[in-house]
Amino acid sequence: MKPGAFEYRKATTVKDAVAWLHSDLNSKILAGGQSLVPVMNFRLAHPSLLVDINEIAALHQITFNADTVTLGALVRHQEMAESTEVRDRLPLLAVTARHIGHWAIRNRGTLGGSLAHADPASEWPAVMVALEAQIQVEGPDGARTIPASEFYLGYYTTELAADEIVTAVTISRTRHRLGFAEVARRPGDFALAGSIVEDFGDGQGSVTWFGVAGKPERVVLALPEEESARARSFQSALGKLSQLDDDRHRQQLAVTVAERAFQHSRLTGHEYLTFEGGQV
Amino acid sequence: MTEQAMRPQFMGARVKRVEDPRLLTGQARYVDDIEVPGMLEVAFVRSPHAAAKILSMDLEAARHAPGVRAVWTFEDCPVMLWQRDTYEVGQPVLAHDEVRYVGEPIVAIIAENRYLAEDAAELVTIRYETKTPVLDMVDAIAESPRRVHPEAQNVFFHKVYASKGFDEAFNAAEHHLSETFRTTRQTAVTLEPRCTAAMLDPASGRMTIYASTQSPHRVRSDMCELLGWDENQIRVIVPEVGGGFGMKANTYPEDIIVVSAAQKLRKPVKWVSDRTESLLSDVHARDDIHEAEVAFNSDGKIVGFRDHLMADGGAYPAYPFSGAVGETSLASRVLTGPYDIPYIATTIDCTYSNKTPLGAYRGVWGPIASFVQEGLIDRVARALGKDPADIRRINMIRPDQFPYRNSAGMVYDQGSYGESMEEALKLVDYKEFRRRQDTLRHEGRYVGIGISVFVEPTAMASSEAGSVGYESVFIRIEPTGKVTAAFGLGPTGQGHETTMAQLIADQVGVNFEDVVILHGDTDSAPFGGGTGGSRSGPIGGGAALVAGREMRARLVKLAAHLLEAGEEDIELGAGKAWVAGVPDRAMTIKELAEVAYTHVKRIPEGLPIGLELVARYQPKRAVSFSNGTHIAEVEVDVLSGLIRVLNYVVVNDCGRLINPMIVEGQIQGGVAQGIGSAFLESLRYDEHGQLVTTSLMDYLLPEATEVPRITTRHLVTPSEGEGGIKGMGEGSLIGAPAALVNAVSDALAPFGAMVRQLPVLPNDVLDWVNA
Repeated sequence: MKPGAFEYRKATTVKDAVAWLHSDLNSKILAGGQSLVPVMNFRLAHPSLLVDINEIAALHQITFNADTVTLGALVRHQEMAESTEVRDRLPLLAVTARHIGHWAIRNRGTLGGSLAHADPASEWPAVMVALEAQIQVEGPDGARTIPASEFYLGYYTTELAADEIVTAVTISRTRHRLGFAEVARRPGDFALAGSIVEDFGDGQGSVTWFGVAGKPERVVLALPEEESARARSFQSALGKLSQLDDDRHRQQLAVTVAERAFQHSRLTGHEYLTFEGGQV
Repeated sequence: MTEQAMRPQFMGARVKRVEDPRLLTGQARYVDDIEVPGMLEVAFVRSPHAAAKILSMDLEAARHAPGVRAVWTFEDCPVMLWQRDTYEVGQPVLAHDEVRYVGEPIVAIIAENRYLAEDAAELVTIRYETKTPVLDMVDAIAESPRRVHPEAQNVFFHKVYASKGFDEAFNAAEHHLSETFRTTRQTAVTLEPRCTAAMLDPASGRMTIYASTQSPHRVRSDMCELLGWDENQIRVIVPEVGGGFGMKANTYPEDIIVVSAAQKLRKPVKWVSDRTESLLSDVHARDDIHEAEVAFNSDGKIVGFRDHLMADGGAYPAYPFSGAVGETSLASRVLTGPYDIPYIATTIDCTYSNKTPLGAYRGVWGPIASFVQEGLIDRVARALGKDPADIRRINMIRPDQFPYRNSAGMVYDQGSYGESMEEALKLVDYKEFRRRQDTLRHEGRYVGIGISVFVEPTAMASSEAGSVGYESVFIRIEPTGKVTAAFGLGPTGQGHETTMAQLIADQVGVNFEDVVILHGDTDSAPFGGGTGGSRSGPIGGGAALVAGREMRARLVKLAAHLLEAGEEDIELGAGKAWVAGVPDRAMTIKELAEVAYTHVKRIPEGLPIGLELVARYQPKRAVSFSNGTHIAEVEVDVLSGLIRVLNYVVVNDCGRLINPMIVEGQIQGGVAQGIGSAFLESLRYDEHGQLVTTSLMDYLLPEATEVPRITTRHLVTPSEGEGGIKGMGEGSLIGAPAALVNAVSDALAPFGAMVRQLPVLPNDVLDWVNA
């Protein structure tokens, strides 16, 4: 379980990193390394060049603006869980971060790495799709912005080109209640099923799942007051997913976590799950 | 024994483990910490196929890869594990004509470091012609789809037993029910993986082997037998070992390669398994099917068990013992557990398959047999509409029945079977639980309780530590009066340096801090079996008591002479000897040692110079039974299928305790592993014989978040052996899985659920709920 030989370069600017990626099509970005390094150790990946982006200071920023927040690609999961600013102003992200792996993994793993890796059972891609985030990427031809809903193509595949880097994610402020729920075998494991539910407050809302399909998709649906009607609504939303898994009981689990996410959004005293200033 | 030694100061005390400071501060030294200049490392090319003929191997590119010193195939090390007549087949240490399981080593790359060795391993090209793998145990027993080894039947161990009058009594019972119980392949997953290092001493020509093993002397014997060395030419050193659990009681192909390479290349050589290699090639365990039937009467009295025990032994019998045989043969003899069940009939079939060889994992037969036995008891209770605790009461072996010969002929010494269950029921407040269960069910919440009363055969004359039924201690009082004692045990985390020092300190009459325990070096330790089968406490501890007592007698004789008193008047303690009632007439043990080693003219007639001796202890009984009861409370989330352990109670009886804190630590660990067995761990093969659980992302272990707080109570029914000690290394894992899954069956009783397969997975729960 030792990786094969590779060249290692440390970038201090996005421009350098992109140029190096472009120069070697068998290169990989090293961010937190929590997914890449294991597959290298298993010798399932043999990159010839690792471009370490950890010292690109600009990618570490969390910037709150009047109506948006921009999260740098190198923000660690644990920073998201611990940041008082995130907990006060973007609490759903702090709640989500605590469900990712274990402390040691959260301490290294990065937002951008998770978004680019596109594991269909991971939390960040689904959260960003649920929040209609904009993913900023940069390549040799410059920067571009991709809506999260268009970023994901399927299992571990994204719009990102081999010589592009995820640099940041921008989320617009929303005024709706949000809830998060996840079912995993053990705390920290990848989810068997997870869900983010947004309640628009007018009997409508959205649901975004992870762990139940090849990619996260945000589905707008009715959220009736009556629980069994809501379950039917979640069930029919599942039917709209383009890459639904066929594992037995997976759909039942998906409805269960969606309901739990909905209940989470409804908990009294949990207004913190809305964005700053959001009132239902 | 003097009165004083019968009032021990250290035995039974919660003495803190002397091992822990070095372990907790990262100062402990393991095999992988052995660094010698010029040391080479090994990587193995392992079979990617469950069953295939090897058509050709191209090794040239690997041989010329940077840093490679040797590329070995079977021709370079033509050693077979099992040349004895025990089994018809033996395992070549490197597969040469055919591969028979995924992960079987084929080529050994010996290079300057592990990175370069793995680089070269990727350059090896092997052409295979795949064969249909033999993967289903029941089919394999019927020789289908084919034989794993053309020269041998798939069934390599077959045994039939029935107690006298079985058929008549069994058939005459009022009720019968049957069930097929299935355990799943697991493996020990030690924190420290397997590893071996070896180096020749060029001056003496002796071979030093650093081994991560439970049996230092057995490793030496195996190397002599397999590689033709003389025992005085080999020194086995066992540094810190990070867990064994039975898995490190075997000698493996990799060990032979390392030693042989060190010999032939005349270089230090090391191999450290990585986690994937561990999951592929450490012995597996628990791959068993029990087709069981129980006969019982309307009053709940059980008449007999019938069981067809099957085990999938993997491609080869592990060396030097097959876990499949161990799991089934002992299970067949202790299947009735703590219950007075007068009739039993068992048939055992152990088969070869194209899977990793089966070996020992903590509890070996026990977790399987308890799962079957306690599962049958609960089924009888449900069939009769009676309380599971009541069915146990009706059938429990009574105190007046000891020594009790069970229907398979095993003799149990004294135990506290019924008492342990009643105590455990009190601790969980069983009646109150039933009320709470009822209330919660009306709220749509499903909690359940599972009882598991277990027996644990310990201190056996033969175990995975071999058929060495005794242990030895070399004890020496140093010229400074401090005590050094060397054991042939092979501790892997049990704390022998603490417990053995407690026993010796009491006997010799010194402070605990003045005793140093050595182990794990065949040059300094007397010959011993090692650690396994819960034998180190009762047999090793027994030897410590005998050695300490003999040394004490030596000191008393010496002190009586020097203090001019009768031997019966000499007392020993806190590093001193004195005349009873005259504390002024005293000598320190240091002063006695000075006489023994230096002023030897003062030694009385009949006593030797020096203070050192070897003592051995072999229990009179072939086995001593510990016992206890586990009760688990779980909640099953019927929407997600997840199971949470809410409460866990253990009442344990392992005779006299040496150190209750260490006993409780053993219990905590066993219950944690039981949670793994019940709900998480499973080595899964796909239809091609690929092991698909080759990392700890796929092979799920219990973590701190899964393990509840455990309430433990001790009962003490002393053994008839030295110190009244019984073993207790395995009972917690014997009892736990049955308690946990019975609790799930109880929680899901409204859905008619009864667990018959380990582990219970979320989808299993949802299957029951949705049925």
